[in-house]
Amino acid sequence: MKVLGIDTSSYVNAIGVIDGDKILSDFTFEAKTDSLKNIVTNIDSALGKANLTLEDVQGIGVGLGPGSWTGVRIGVTVGKILAYVTKRPVAGVPTLEALAYNARNVTTLICSIINAGRDTVYAAIYRPQKGAVTRLSEYYVGDVQKLTEMITEPTTFTGPEAQFYSKLMRPTFESQSINIEVMEDIPRGYAVAMLAEARFQKGQTDNVLSLEPMYLKESTAKAFVNRYSINAGVKGQDLPGVSSGR
Amino acid sequence: MLVLGVETSCDETAAALVADGKVVLSNVIATQLDLLNKYGGVVPEIAARRHTELIGYVIKEAVDSGGKTLAEIEAVAATSKNGLIGCLLVGVAAAKALSYSLRVPLIGVHHIEGHIFANILSNPKMPVPHICLTVSGGHTMLIYVHDYCKYEILGNTLDDAAGEAFDKIAKFFGIGFPGGPVIDELSTKGDRKAFRFPRPLLGSSTLDFSFSGLKTSVINAFKSRIAANEVLPVEDIAASFQEAIVDVLVSKTLRAASERQVSVVSVTGGVSANRRLREVFSNACQRKGIEVFFPKLSLCTDNAAMIAAAGYARLKEGEAAGLDLNVIPSAPFEV
Repeated sequence: MKVLGIDTSSYVNAIGVIDGDKILSDFTFEAKTDSLKNIVTNIDSALGKANLTLEDVQGIGVGLGPGSWTGVRIGVTVGKILAYVTKRPVAGVPTLEALAYNARNVTTLICSIINAGRDTVYAAIYRPQKGAVTRLSEYYVGDVQKLTEMITEPTTFTGPEAQFYSKLMRPTFESQSINIEVMEDIPRGYAVAMLAEARFQKGQTDNVLSLEPMYLKESTAKAFVNRYSINAGVKGQDLPGVSSGR
Repeated sequence: MLVLGVETSCDETAAALVADGKVVLSNVIATQLDLLNKYGGVVPEIAARRHTELIGYVIKEAVDSGGKTLAEIEAVAATSKNGLIGCLLVGVAAAKALSYSLRVPLIGVHHIEGHIFANILSNPKMPVPHICLTVSGGHTMLIYVHDYCKYEILGNTLDDAAGEAFDKIAKFFGIGFPGGPVIDELSTKGDRKAFRFPRPLLGSSTLDFSFSGLKTSVINAFKSRIAANEVLPVEDIAASFQEAIVDVLVSKTLRAASERQVSVVSVTGGVSANRRLREVFSNACQRKGIEVFFPKLSLCTDNAAMIAAAGYARLKEGEAAGLDLNVIPSAPFEV
């Protein structure tokens, strides 16, 4: 099955094209904070490199994040609208799983880790087995030091800033004699496509219109309102991140 | 030519089908009023999340309810300039995917030009040149419309937009959100001469606007009574405040018309739905022998039909965008 994989949750536009277990093309286009500008031309290049046109694509995989909220919305929106127009199935893939998949050949457990801002991380632990990965933990959002409590056996950390975060955790692991490895990596389009294809093979697809990113975190204002259970429409309370100009 | 318009610059997720820049076949708008009421304003991140959730449904609804198929769409226009960046991104991403997969031209539209076209859509016989007052929660702008796609900015707000002043006053007095419709409604029960609020910049020769001081002066006038827990005459306050804004908007627009010696004015944007504004404009224009045009109510607030119409006009000028179209959150309105 020919599947297009898209992930824009990091600082690259990751686009991959696969056919079954064959990778036809796999690009990580530099996007920094501007995923939008070249997303469609990036997709066109990756398809061209695979000698395919959009019409040849039989399914679309979309990296759902977590990661950059603004970035991930671009890939999700483009992916679902392409699927809607071409009437192809779409499957959302957690970016943490795509990262783990690209590290699937290690012999330890895999912990995918992504910057969540303000000294926190998104993470999940996977077990690699026979070329696939199985998630063992809940999705984690929180302090990087607390993440160490979830890890009790040798683990490979992977993600765009895996090196940085593993350095922060290393003293804890050393004191517990837990061996850790690092595989610094960005999300890959081909991995998103492979994981999407696996879902298609099981008959699993997502609703083309309702597909949404996996944010794992509320926006600041929503968290603020929930915490203080206030109704800001009354009494003119000013909230962080609220623009009253419409 | 069948154009699909997409608009997500603020808190409305909208898509529409317009034929030949004239006939609105569908005009789908998903508002986020529930969120506005909850948070007392637009939270950019929450609005952007809602756009992502709804964009597919809204586009499909626009195509289906317009009685067309995707294959019949001949161009896609999206608001790419002026708005909240995270919100604009969603609509433009969708439009790019549509343009690429349908292999039809893509047009990036400035939100303000969209509002000008809301009036052209509603009043196909509206002549040019004319003076256009674009007045909403985000803008208060006087524009000399030389011709379709040819504009000259005569005046702009120096601080708050008129609609923003409505919102902030409504928020301060705790009477609801968005402020425009709430104050419009309350004012019908109030005395607009009960309080005399300032008319900022009305005496000066500039065509610019300023509403921040008016807002502050209204708030200051009642601070002590609020502190004393007095029951306020909100109907009278609303009516008097609205009257001050309407007075400034109408006077400046008519002054612009007289300076430019044009006998046609148009009023567009969310605040153009305000009943008192329409009434005062109509009366004043009649006295001066000026023709005044307003959009249909469905085209006053943000919508995608106006974006499709503007996009069609731009395409006729040969101004299609590339697939590398990007968003510009605070773009000057190009003339």
